[in-house]
Amino acid sequence: SSVMDPEPIVRRNPPGTKAEDFYKWPAQSFDEMDTTLAVQQHIQQTIRQDFTDTETILTVPPGQDEGVWKYEQLRQFCLELNGLAIKLQTECTPLTCSQMTATEQWIFLCAAHKTPQGCPAIDYTRHTLDGAACLLNSNKYFPSRVSIKDSSVAKLGSVCRRVYRIFSHAYYHHRHIFDESENETYLCRRFTTFVIRYNLMSRDNLIVPIMDDASNTSNNNSVDQ
Amino acid sequence: PYSMPGILHFIQHEWSRFEMERAQWDVEKAELQARIAFLQGERKGQENLKRDLIRRIKMLEFALKQERAKVHKLKFGTDLSVEQKHNESNDESKTNELQTTNAHMSWRHGRQLLRQYLQEVGYSETILDVRSQRVRALLGNNYDAPKPVENDNQVVNGNISDEEKQSNRCVWNQLQLASCSTDGNTESIFKDFNFLNAEDNDNEDDEDVNMQDEDVTDDGDHQRKARAKDAFDEVDGFGDEEMALAEFDFLNPTAAEPGIPEVCVCTSHTISLCQVKVQGPYNLLNVFHSESLPFTVGGTHMGDESIENALGLGALAGLTVANEADPLSYDIAATKESYRKTWNPKYTLRSHFDGIRAIRFLPNESAVITASEDHTMKLWNLNKPLPSKKTQSLDVEPIYSFRGHSGAVLSLEVDADGSYCFSGGLDASVRVWSIPSVEIDAYDTYDPAVIQKVLVGHTDAVWSLSYSSTRQQLLSASSDCSVRLWNPTSNDPLIQTYTTEGIPTSVCFVQCDSNHAVVSHTDGKINLYDLETGQISLVLAEGDGSKYIDCSVNCVASHPTMPITMTAHDDKHIKFFDNSSGKLIHSMVAHLDSVTSLSVDPNGLYLLSGSHDCSIRLWNLDSKTCIQELTSHRKKFDESIYSVAFHPSATYIASAGADALAKIFV
Repeated sequence: SSVMDPEPIVRRNPPGTKAEDFYKWPAQSFDEMDTTLAVQQHIQQTIRQDFTDTETILTVPPGQDEGVWKYEQLRQFCLELNGLAIKLQTECTPLTCSQMTATEQWIFLCAAHKTPQGCPAIDYTRHTLDGAACLLNSNKYFPSRVSIKDSSVAKLGSVCRRVYRIFSHAYYHHRHIFDESENETYLCRRFTTFVIRYNLMSRDNLIVPIMDDASNTSNNNSVDQ
Repeated sequence: PYSMPGILHFIQHEWSRFEMERAQWDVEKAELQARIAFLQGERKGQENLKRDLIRRIKMLEFALKQERAKVHKLKFGTDLSVEQKHNESNDESKTNELQTTNAHMSWRHGRQLLRQYLQEVGYSETILDVRSQRVRALLGNNYDAPKPVENDNQVVNGNISDEEKQSNRCVWNQLQLASCSTDGNTESIFKDFNFLNAEDNDNEDDEDVNMQDEDVTDDGDHQRKARAKDAFDEVDGFGDEEMALAEFDFLNPTAAEPGIPEVCVCTSHTISLCQVKVQGPYNLLNVFHSESLPFTVGGTHMGDESIENALGLGALAGLTVANEADPLSYDIAATKESYRKTWNPKYTLRSHFDGIRAIRFLPNESAVITASEDHTMKLWNLNKPLPSKKTQSLDVEPIYSFRGHSGAVLSLEVDADGSYCFSGGLDASVRVWSIPSVEIDAYDTYDPAVIQKVLVGHTDAVWSLSYSSTRQQLLSASSDCSVRLWNPTSNDPLIQTYTTEGIPTSVCFVQCDSNHAVVSHTDGKINLYDLETGQISLVLAEGDGSKYIDCSVNCVASHPTMPITMTAHDDKHIKFFDNSSGKLIHSMVAHLDSVTSLSVDPNGLYLLSGSHDCSIRLWNLDSKTCIQELTSHRKKFDESIYSVAFHPSATYIASAGADALAKIFV
């Protein structure tokens, strides 16, 4: 197209787009976004720019409602946790992990059933992610993407607590999978920072040590333990 | 010249037209039958009323005769025999007619009848009005409560004169009426009633007195009596009686008993009909029974029938209404596309975290699979929505999540029996999944066997899939500039790779010729491939990649019976190409923005299109006109609707959007 008349930017990934070009359009400032999905767009855009920059990703834009911010962040965490889940699917089986555990202290029961069940770890992982998807998309508790009732915001804490166990099980029982995934996404450290910052979980439950940038390979296992 | 596809199409078209007409005829027939039943019921009601009123008139006459006799007795003392004979003969005839065995009973009944008649006379002007008006007017004035036996005794003993005056007045009114009109026209009678009503304000008072609800028993009676007495204090009873008697002579100089003018009968009919109809819908059976006591058992029976008629009419009226609604909800056999006029949203599928790129129905279930940018696909059972108070829009939760892709899932296809589905992703993999039963529990144990195969070959995003049930093969198109043909069940699934000129966006087997496939590209090229030779057999569109930015073709669809390809363009057009000649048959501006997705109904009569203008449109393929537009899905960045689909065998359509929702319409 001609240089003289600037084409309006159309932010689409139409059929035929190559994987490397996916979402490769100029960033849009948060204030210019006028859709109901603006917060999701902004968070995803920031992650694409630099997934290691946890601080920027978690910084709430000025004027943005904090309840909605926490909600959209949690949606994105659940979305990205799928990557960890599919890796776990390959080697976490009811034979290797018949229960959901992290350290020896606790056995976690799956809350997705009428009465809590001692699901094998892989079922716990899938059920927790599916249950989170149902709750976070539920028209009853979260009918809108732009405003959220306080009573619904209160539900985010329990979702965080259950979802965190996927990290802790992977860390303590499938360490290489955890490291591989964490390198690609920085997801666990971002999640830990997120729940601390917004007081969504008590620190006692955060049993996965946050690795700093210097020691994020499996070689440094012993140091971290 | 005739061609097989053309013949097929014609036959299908005619057949669907015949079915439509047949449905219309059925509807009309049902409506007419309902109307007939309604009218028959009405007629029955009218006849019952006629009988009712005849009896009442007879009773009035009887009562009048008795009054006359008494007056005579009081006045003249002894000239009773002549009158008595009249009375006795009247008594006998009345008794016979009334089918009563108890003279005392008939006295009481007669008085009650007269009381009722007074009130009826007063409200006659409303009888001709619509039923509701009758209801309102008559409900405003409650019917006469049945007199307890004690009251009757009192009346018999002492208060007869008042009642008789009342009855005389009533009779006088009726006679006035009879004298005023001689034809059988009901309406003229009512006019007469109006005339009477205007004059006889006292009668109206009496009617008010008589309007006591059955529930208000003792108090009502006292009030009634008191007021009645007040009203009659002003009346010179004798004078009225004389007038009444004189009227009788006028009417029937020769007959021993006053004849029953047709006029009166008709009037009485409608009054009773009105009465009946009022009570029918409101089920005031008790009140009606009390009123019809004068008729004793026979009257009550009639009352029941009348009520049943009225109720029946009500039911029939409901029947006509239901029939009117039927065409809209007419359900067609599974193999036909619905020709109903409008689709309405029914289910909303909420569970994905990011846009849904593709949606497909299972062929033999009320179920869909969605493929999303959140890396998952989900299976939904539409027969198990979330419980909700409202019936219009139901939410559905998924029963299964397919996890395996490590990037956005971009394309989806289901095989012909609904046992396998195929997905293509941003991660360049094509995956074969075994579809779990739609009855599974959403939180069941993980079954790794759901992941059947990963078809490796492409090196870039797989944007489009097409499955041929005749060949049992899968075509995939990827932004690595290749289209690949697979046999999903074989151990070495890749059959062939076709390198494309330009980046393909969509691939589709030609439905009526599975040896060929259509491929569209980002530069607007549309090519018809011969799958055996791997060569382009026909160029449907050249492609103008250099000329304008919105030249891309987003989707191709193949007509089920005719050699026609339909294409969805970034420049808002939908185009139709002939596969044999390669000519452009038709081109139309279909949307306000890029057209992203197309779906043809299984019979080839309708086309569904989705666009980034947030609307989905239904098109009639013969006339190429838009039948319906539905607004659906909100935007994420500049995208809104990614995929639309028809159910292969049931009347569902679906849309999937960037807002992570899928919607099902019925």
